[in-house]
Amino acid sequence: MKKNRRIKLTFIYLTLIIFLVITLLPYVWLIITSFKTRIDAFSIPPKLFFKATLQNYYDAFITKGMLSNLKNSLIVMLATVGIGMAFGLPSAFAFSRFPMKKDKILLNYLLGTRFTPFVVLALPLYLIMSKIGLLNSFAGIIVAHVAFNLPFVVWMMKGFFDAVPKEIDEAARIEGYSWFRVFLSIDIPLAKSGLAATMIFCAINSWNEFLMALILTGRNTVTMPVAIPGLMTPQGTLWGQIASVGTVITIPVLILAIIVQKHMISGMTMGAVK
Amino acid sequence: MFYRKKKKLKNYNSLAMCFHIPTFVTLTFITLIPILYTVWLSFYDYQLANPGSENVFVGFKNYVALFSDTELIHSVRITFTFMFGAVVLEVIIGICLALLLNTIPKLRRLFTSLVLIPMMIAPLVIGLMFNFFINPQFGLYVWLVQRLHLPLPTILTDNSITALIVVIIMDVWEWAPYLGLVFLAGLQSISGEYYEAAKVDGASGRQIFRYVTLPLMKPILTVGILLRAMEIFKEFDKPYILTGGGPGNATEVIDLYTYRQAFVSFKFSYAAAICVILFIILVGCGMIYQKIAMRGDGE
Repeated sequence: MKKNRRIKLTFIYLTLIIFLVITLLPYVWLIITSFKTRIDAFSIPPKLFFKATLQNYYDAFITKGMLSNLKNSLIVMLATVGIGMAFGLPSAFAFSRFPMKKDKILLNYLLGTRFTPFVVLALPLYLIMSKIGLLNSFAGIIVAHVAFNLPFVVWMMKGFFDAVPKEIDEAARIEGYSWFRVFLSIDIPLAKSGLAATMIFCAINSWNEFLMALILTGRNTVTMPVAIPGLMTPQGTLWGQIASVGTVITIPVLILAIIVQKHMISGMTMGAVK
Repeated sequence: MFYRKKKKLKNYNSLAMCFHIPTFVTLTFITLIPILYTVWLSFYDYQLANPGSENVFVGFKNYVALFSDTELIHSVRITFTFMFGAVVLEVIIGICLALLLNTIPKLRRLFTSLVLIPMMIAPLVIGLMFNFFINPQFGLYVWLVQRLHLPLPTILTDNSITALIVVIIMDVWEWAPYLGLVFLAGLQSISGEYYEAAKVDGASGRQIFRYVTLPLMKPILTVGILLRAMEIFKEFDKPYILTGGGPGNATEVIDLYTYRQAFVSFKFSYAAAICVILFIILVGCGMIYQKIAMRGDGE
């Protein structure tokens, strides 16, 4: 019986490890390639031991000016998170604390926006932005990112505010706090782990977004994902540099993702799975 | 008494409105108006190549044209093939992963953090990574193919069938672990009493899975499947960078096709008509999702 169980466990771990290898291999390969010289990257059989170099990073970020794209990505991300939170939090609080008959329609509207393909929003936004002269500006791309992050903030934070006991609010109300003060100085601090998770999700959404940025940014506002295809030149694709930019885009996201791991599934199913 | 109650409720409403205003005014301007503008646009004949065409009202002409557009029908078929292939594989792998992870409580956290990685990587980078990985110029893929004595490597994205398979595998690679974690959450919410009762009744492992686990998992399976099916309609970055919709238009999913109509051919009104249809489909699916997934929530 015991022996049987051990065989079963070995089998389970083996399967999981194979699964992990398949899952991680392409990504690990990307990171390894970013430290290789051109010759090492193209060698057959693949080299596992090689002299690591930072040349790709230097070429992409300093020579090719990817650093300014990194800056653009950061600007868009910070503005999106800032606006999304500032506008979305009060609304989430109201959904949680002041239920109305109309809530259902509003929540459905938010959910609808969440599931709309980006191309559906990108087309009208592009035409409108080009009419009012905001094409290729930060304002244009930030508006587009807020458009799909704001509904997300409201949905996520509604769940986190729901988890804060209503009795605390009532006690504060009796103490003479205004609802606005209850919201700012009691419920927001109490929901702060949810707040951090929501902010991180928003940041990742904006940081990874490609289609809107492809359409709405230009020369001075190109974000990092949009700048990568520029490294696929007609003279050949600069794989090493692409790998280095890919690594730089993904590493911060992974670090943030591990922090919010607990809320990950809940966030990605819009709260359907806790 | 009645009067007071009513008044209190009314006060509540105006207070709620104050909190709601920033979000909903913003969303009116940045999502509602753009979508209404798309609907309006779809009844005109706006093309960049045709100055003045913005004011030519054509009624339902764009919508009628959709039905005889063979390329569009092709891309819808590709999208559904892609959806079917990807979702089926993701669900199967997801269930297996969830069942396996459920048996190892000790190392679960570590494994979970590791399998989270694919879904956090920017989809564009995933496309590049696969491009990289299956590129015969590079060592790894050719080397693996030779080791496993598979047929000699060709450029997979040059053949319409293998290109679609690669696009599907790419999506499975990204999202199967995610469904695994969703299903794992579902498995863990099943009370142990059910299993004990089944064991007392003498059910075998397979019977327990078939008659206890699976039925209890049904709601969460539905959530997972629906969510993935809807997200397929958003697929753009990965095929865009890996195949560009090619070879020919063998991997041109609906978003890529719409993008091409709007931003390569600049047929804005025609693209708008596709967008309207897409929007209606997705809002419909979203409502179903809301009905099934948010049961008991949002009341």
